[in-house]
Amino acid sequence: MIQYIIRRLIHTVFVVLAISLIVFFSIRLTGDPVAIMFQAGEPTKEAIEEVRENLGLNEPLIVQYGIFMKQLITFDLGESFRSGLPVSTMIAERMGPTVLLALGGILVAILIAFPVGILSAVKRGTAVDFFGRIFSLLGISFPNFWLGIMLIIVFAVQLQWFPASGYDGWKSLVLPSIALGMILSGILARLVRSSMLEILNQQYISTAKSKGIKDWVVIIRHAFRNALIPTTTFLGIQFGSLLGGTVIIEQVFSWPGVGRMIIDAINQRDYPVIQGGVIVLAMLMILVNLIVDLSYSFLDPRIKVGGSDK
Amino acid sequence: MLKKHLWKFVLLALTAMLLLAACSGGNDEGEGTGNNTDNSGENTGDNQNQDKGKSENPVEGRDGELVIGVPGDPQNWDPIDTFLLDWSTIATSVFEGLVDRNLDLEIQPGLATEWEYVEENVLQFKLREGVTFHNGEPFNADAVKFTFDRLLGEEGAKGPQQANYTAIDHVEVVDDYTVNFHLKYKDPVLITKLAGYGAVIVPPNYIQENGDEHFNNNPVGTGPFKMTKYERDNVVVLEKNENYWKEGLPKLDKVTFKIIPEASTRLAELQTGKIDIMKRVERSQTQAVEDSSFLSLSVAGTPTVYALRFDTDEKPLDNPKVRQALNYAVDKEAIIEEILGGYGNPISTFQSELSFGNNPNLEPYPYDPEKAKELLAEAGVEEGTILDIYTPGNDATFKEVVQAVAFYLEQVGLQANIQTVDANTLTSELMPNGDAGHMYRMGWGGWTLDFDNTAYLLYHEGEFWNPDFYDEKVEELLAAERATVDQAEREEIFMELTERLYELAPQLYLYQDMAMFGVNDRVKNFQTPHDDRIRLENVEVE
Amino acid sequence: MQQGAAVQNEKSQSARPLFLRLKRSVKFFFRNFSGFLGLFLVIVSVSAALFADYIAPMEAGQASLSARLDPPSWADETGESTFLLGADQLGRDMLSRIIYGAQISIKVGFFGVLIAMILGTIMGLISGYFGKWMDDLIMRLADIQLAFPFILFAIIVMSVLGPGIWKIIIILGITNWVGFARVIRGQVISLKEMEYVQAAHAVGGSHFRIIRKHVLPNVLSSILVLATLYIAEFILLEASLTFLGLGVDPTIPSWGGMLADSRNYITSAWWTATFPGFAIMLTVLGFNLFGDWLRDKLDPNLKV
Repeated sequence: MIQYIIRRLIHTVFVVLAISLIVFFSIRLTGDPVAIMFQAGEPTKEAIEEVRENLGLNEPLIVQYGIFMKQLITFDLGESFRSGLPVSTMIAERMGPTVLLALGGILVAILIAFPVGILSAVKRGTAVDFFGRIFSLLGISFPNFWLGIMLIIVFAVQLQWFPASGYDGWKSLVLPSIALGMILSGILARLVRSSMLEILNQQYISTAKSKGIKDWVVIIRHAFRNALIPTTTFLGIQFGSLLGGTVIIEQVFSWPGVGRMIIDAINQRDYPVIQGGVIVLAMLMILVNLIVDLSYSFLDPRIKVGGSDK
Repeated sequence: MLKKHLWKFVLLALTAMLLLAACSGGNDEGEGTGNNTDNSGENTGDNQNQDKGKSENPVEGRDGELVIGVPGDPQNWDPIDTFLLDWSTIATSVFEGLVDRNLDLEIQPGLATEWEYVEENVLQFKLREGVTFHNGEPFNADAVKFTFDRLLGEEGAKGPQQANYTAIDHVEVVDDYTVNFHLKYKDPVLITKLAGYGAVIVPPNYIQENGDEHFNNNPVGTGPFKMTKYERDNVVVLEKNENYWKEGLPKLDKVTFKIIPEASTRLAELQTGKIDIMKRVERSQTQAVEDSSFLSLSVAGTPTVYALRFDTDEKPLDNPKVRQALNYAVDKEAIIEEILGGYGNPISTFQSELSFGNNPNLEPYPYDPEKAKELLAEAGVEEGTILDIYTPGNDATFKEVVQAVAFYLEQVGLQANIQTVDANTLTSELMPNGDAGHMYRMGWGGWTLDFDNTAYLLYHEGEFWNPDFYDEKVEELLAAERATVDQAEREEIFMELTERLYELAPQLYLYQDMAMFGVNDRVKNFQTPHDDRIRLENVEVE
Repeated sequence: MQQGAAVQNEKSQSARPLFLRLKRSVKFFFRNFSGFLGLFLVIVSVSAALFADYIAPMEAGQASLSARLDPPSWADETGESTFLLGADQLGRDMLSRIIYGAQISIKVGFFGVLIAMILGTIMGLISGYFGKWMDDLIMRLADIQLAFPFILFAIIVMSVLGPGIWKIIIILGITNWVGFARVIRGQVISLKEMEYVQAAHAVGGSHFRIIRKHVLPNVLSSILVLATLYIAEFILLEASLTFLGLGVDPTIPSWGGMLADSRNYITSAWWTATFPGFAIMLTVLGFNLFGDWLRDKLDPNLKV
């Protein structure tokens, strides 16, 4: 086990290295940050050259990459071209809102998916099942931005229950969490339902049922527990990607999260922020996945980690 | 039986979704249907708002406070690091320059009371006395010297603003309230530039004590408001500067800027009274604002102009006749009227009427498809020739415009092939390399309000955004215009230059842009700025 | 699962036979209703795509500025509008654009998934079958893929290859192979332990032959289910790309593009945004329901 963890951690280093390499070089194919910075100012060619020189962008790419790697080893992610702040500070600033939104989304997803998934498994093949599914699928039946805009129109403009945007108190968390939760719940409900069914169909449950033990006891004892494993895995893996993958929700609800920061940086070609942001998120994601993999084997001892190599 | 029910349910569910989407469309007429879904959940106090909201102003309890929704966060408040309109929208209330460009774009005294050339290339400013920065530091000649030393020195070299002020050699302190600007050469638009971003006066002690990084996030100036809170990409709070040098101003106690990138969200906040002013109402939203009983649309012409720039290296666009033909082929008036809802003005060259050097005698190319066909035939352009048009994918309004252009090109026997690309790849990679098809969207800020900058950077050979165009006559005129500071002479040269550029038609000239703000009726004395620099000192709220 | 149902049915054995039979067929219908509905919706959108030229009342690109934003004919008080679902920003018939839009969505979904499926299947087979360093390598590649921001990838591909609908298909295909690879890898790992695969190996079957004869057929149903569900996702992703300013050109009647570009008209011309939204919702829901049902039938233990 320890050996496995160590090996995975070594792999992580290589993955991060590969990502840094790809991001570093590929982002430089897509345009010039100085020209973008200048766009509104209408500068001369000389002025653009000079700023580029001052930002160290005229060095050969290999040299620039060397400098970047040297900084990375000392956990220095460099400074943003735009804000002049250290990238690590910027990421730290954004982590709070991002984690909050991810948790909010997961909470909503659980609140929708578990009741729907359990009910539609127990009442399989009935109208309850059907409408439960439709309901849980609604979130992934619209493009994200459209779902967000509709929630705003209904709950912020028409009903005026919650604010449409901002990061200011729990009320502002509600709508983005619902949007995110609805997106997650589509798949989550599906998972809960099928894991429940798996157990419900087993012989001993039927036996238990026929012996007259009350349904809900059976459900909670066996099926629910069975459903927990795949759903935790799913949520764990999602949590990693949620940290950076909620860009559109953050954009629509003006949520100051990491995803939006990276997307802005990509749009502005703010190289240090893109590089730093992507690398930090990658590490978080890989670590979360590793933890999920490990906890998987705790939840279900039958599963061995590193299954493929014996 | 069950089956029947089921269908009912399905229909109901689907209709509910449709209504969800459509219910806001019912602001006026669709109310009856919209309410079915809306009132299903009952809530105490809030629900009253919902019906009132349609007719009455929903803003409550914000006396002396104004909330403005803006689309972007400049990320950095240091004036020498920015060119962004997002910066100026907010920072104009925090910082001031020696001279001030007012809402009518006239230059007037700011922190300097008067100025004159005391020698050839020496410009002297008399400074305003009794002005202090928000941190209590006095404003004086040292602050001016510090500001320009910083701008022209090492710190300024990292940012984009320095390049605008290269005409200044150094600043000399004459006495506490007099400074001399020693110039390397005469820059005809220097005074205008001193009202620009990079030249606003910053507090020397504050920056030296706290460092540049601190200043980036906690700006201090002499303006009517001081910044008391800044949460990146979320909110900026300004509070009244009690010691502001203009008597009795500002009138507001507090101004909050909420950063809301998505236009539909911004509009939602405006409609529910969560914000009082919405910056950048999209063309597609104007009707929603106009229809509301408590909102108004406030519009002003901007120096920004739009055109489709031709790649003059590409056949058949290397022929000026073809370029003229395309200018004749497109009905700009109809585009402005129909797609822009009338909010735009046709242009004859690539500048607005606000710009010095605009030629009032030139009529924008009229819509004349017959003439266009004639010219195309003369140039030997075949029917069905395909032209690639590049446009940024995030500009929904321009996408409509460019589709209309494509429609008009088809009418004269050409075929347009529209390509949407990432906005910044287009401006920073494809355009400078001449890889953006036959023609591409070009928007130009024209912030100096002088044609010099525009013309030089777009038509002078070898400039960043001019990969292909060259004309000897244009080069001559540009050089001549730069050689003098005599405004009358420059104007004369510009008239000739504009005629030449009109004839050569390096662009398909489209329109001058309008700045559109949605404003709650409780806001008084707000005037939409031409240049996005909102002036708040006279604004009041009810 | 049959047994569970059987036990339940035993209880009601005493009921009248006719009623029972009726109840059974109703039950059958319900049990499969979501699948039927899904299939129906899929067929509707696929036929719209295939026969667009015959059913659309107008050409998708036929514009007329004077008809700009005409409301649906049944909601038009002036009675001037001739468009059943209204006209868009350039006076094009919404109904025709939505019908032609099915072509784009189906194209993006189908070919995008094809790429993702082929890539993912190959990766998953290699990774699961050969294991060891191959497995490590491919799974780390998957980590890299997942950690790399989708939008950045899209911007890079488009600035290198240029814009266009096929680039979007390629982008979607390439960025989504991981889902396929992971599922298939897991299945191959457990298949490998099966006796008959081991036996085939023992008698000296080549790897390629074993994979083709014994492994691939056994993962086909999972691939099919995944592909159906991914089509739904790709249709949505295409819309998101337009929202982010990276979508197809606006003359192409893509539902996502129509929805993203007209979202600001929602308060003044609701039909421009509502009907494409409706079309996307029904199609995506259709693929999801159908995929879910397929999974129930073919591969109930699939964890996606």
